[in-house]
Amino acid sequence: MAHIPTANGTAMTGATSLVKSLEAADVEVMFGLPGGAILPAYDPIFDSSIRHILVRHEQGAGHAATGYAQVTGRAGVCIATSGPGATNLVTPLMDAAMDSVPLIAITGQVPSAAIGTDAFQEADIRGITMPFTKHNYLVTNPDEIPGVIAEAFHIATTGRPGPVLVDIAKDALQKMTTFNWPTSIKLAGYNPKTTPDAQAITDAAALIAQSSKPVFYVGGGVIKANAHKELRQLVELLVAPVVTTLMARGAFPDSHPLHMGMPGMHGTVAAVTALQKADLLITLGARFDDRVTGKLSTFAPNAKILHADIDPAEIGKNRHADVAVVGDVRETISALIPALKAALAKNQPDLSTWMRQMNSLKSTYPLGYDQPDDGSLSPQHVIQRLGQISGTDTIFTAGVGQHQMWASQFISYEHPRTWLNSGGAGTMGYGVPAAMGAKVGAPDATVWAIDGDGCFQMTNQELVTCALNNIPIKVAIINNESLGMVRQWQTLFYEGRYSNTNLESKRVPNFPMLAESMGCVGLSCERPEDLDKTIEKAMSINDQPVVVDFRVHRDAMVWPMVAAGTSNDEIMIARATAPDWDSQEL
Amino acid sequence: MTTSRRQHTLEVLVENEPGVLARVAGLFSRRAFNIETLNVGPTADSSISKMVIGVAVEGHSLEQVIAQLDKLVSVISIKDVTGKGKEVHDTQPDYQN
Repeated sequence: MAHIPTANGTAMTGATSLVKSLEAADVEVMFGLPGGAILPAYDPIFDSSIRHILVRHEQGAGHAATGYAQVTGRAGVCIATSGPGATNLVTPLMDAAMDSVPLIAITGQVPSAAIGTDAFQEADIRGITMPFTKHNYLVTNPDEIPGVIAEAFHIATTGRPGPVLVDIAKDALQKMTTFNWPTSIKLAGYNPKTTPDAQAITDAAALIAQSSKPVFYVGGGVIKANAHKELRQLVELLVAPVVTTLMARGAFPDSHPLHMGMPGMHGTVAAVTALQKADLLITLGARFDDRVTGKLSTFAPNAKILHADIDPAEIGKNRHADVAVVGDVRETISALIPALKAALAKNQPDLSTWMRQMNSLKSTYPLGYDQPDDGSLSPQHVIQRLGQISGTDTIFTAGVGQHQMWASQFISYEHPRTWLNSGGAGTMGYGVPAAMGAKVGAPDATVWAIDGDGCFQMTNQELVTCALNNIPIKVAIINNESLGMVRQWQTLFYEGRYSNTNLESKRVPNFPMLAESMGCVGLSCERPEDLDKTIEKAMSINDQPVVVDFRVHRDAMVWPMVAAGTSNDEIMIARATAPDWDSQEL
Repeated sequence: MTTSRRQHTLEVLVENEPGVLARVAGLFSRRAFNIETLNVGPTADSSISKMVIGVAVEGHSLEQVIAQLDKLVSVISIKDVTGKGKEVHDTQPDYQN
């Protein structure tokens, strides 16, 4: 609420009030698609300073707003009409809720008199989205529009970030009102605690100083809170191993010697084992997701838990916390650094054995892959070269599946907000629209969407939006002509019975032609010897979106792997191959 | 985690607005919390309603139920009144906040 808009006190329609409210909330861009119920709002949008990007599908608007939010740290805004327009936002809202993204969805609703009559394009979107919005609204009185929009931005961007939906009846947009942007927001039921308790910080520091096998278990909250610099100070103060979850890739530099990699189902042996053998997890903005813990009852069996999170409901949800610190994780780490210095001055634990064990695992079991015997392209190699050639300032997005896991493994992330993916929801089709939003938020950055051939066929229509709106993203389709991760599970757990995972995408569609038809440059690469020059050609095109069809070997699998429902102790580094535990001093 | 079933009574003050019952009931449903009884009534402040919820805690901790309820923006306050002699039909005005 930094400034009072000049329009305050002016008579206008509810629709104009909505647009003035979005301007007052400092919105610079929104992604949307008009229709009947939201149409009154699109008239003042025509005159607004806010850039409106016309998408081809509302789902694209939602994920684009999410990509924008993930890159900028600001709220992303999407807008759609009632009924199917609004329900097409359901997946992005669920996605944003799972990954704690500040997303604002504005939807038109049928006129208030028609609500409840099964009117044309009527859907109870407030009811539908209750489970996965942080809060939502149905507005039928135009006088309430500025207050609701101000509250929506406040709720979405403070505390644990999340999506907020504002559904506005068409007549509320059409009626006259007096614009009145609020000077303050009071919500009796919403007061997120950002400053941690001093006692909790003291207890946390004491717990760390007593541990002999501590691990920093770093989650996406560290990126949300812009706490990466503080994290590095804390880690280097203690000198202990770090793991970064799928949502936290980039929160701590991959090149740092204390970084053990990503934990979880497809994590590194060192990261998974660090958690399993630790006597203390220093949990920062992470939530003990099942993809990290494996079978919960066997997760980190000897570890005490220090759990720092902005959301009190995460404390003890999946794993009991011995010390809980509720607050903003940046404030928490900032307070923890001097407290830990003081605690270490009294009792400096010897972590040298622990670090030696972890470094041994890290060097013995690096991530790796085999080149296919038949001379075809290895998907891991494609992704690795994309990272190496494009460099660490590139923003990568991914769809969901094998290509996503390889992109999290084989690209080195050195900076926060350079790795965007659908972690909690696992939304196939996230990659292309998220890249569009990321490029709008960071126009000077190179943005690569690493997508699967299955994912790409879910949301590629937004390449038209990119081509027409000067949003030159780059898309790498890792084309293994399959729903690759599902196929991998069929290989491992269903005796190779490939039921409905063969997409035949090396025959149809012709991805380069499809890309060209949408106003993009279409490239293709099939041979390892063409890989670097194809990537370099894609890198040289900056005035148009580029799509590269990397036609890769079909049978590559993601390793290591902890099979769903099993213990992290059962980690496999290749099919039927466990690490050689006997040779490790643990 | 507990396997025994324990009864708790929560007194929850909520914003008196359309959909608030659905928000609370939906939360219990999707998180697999058990509502045994539920009573909604007015308070002296017409903008606030009071819910008295009988919760059977099984598998989840009461702390988790309360923490999740508290995340609802429409929920103003939650008080555990188990064994405090409050009956579930109690809809007396309550200014505790």
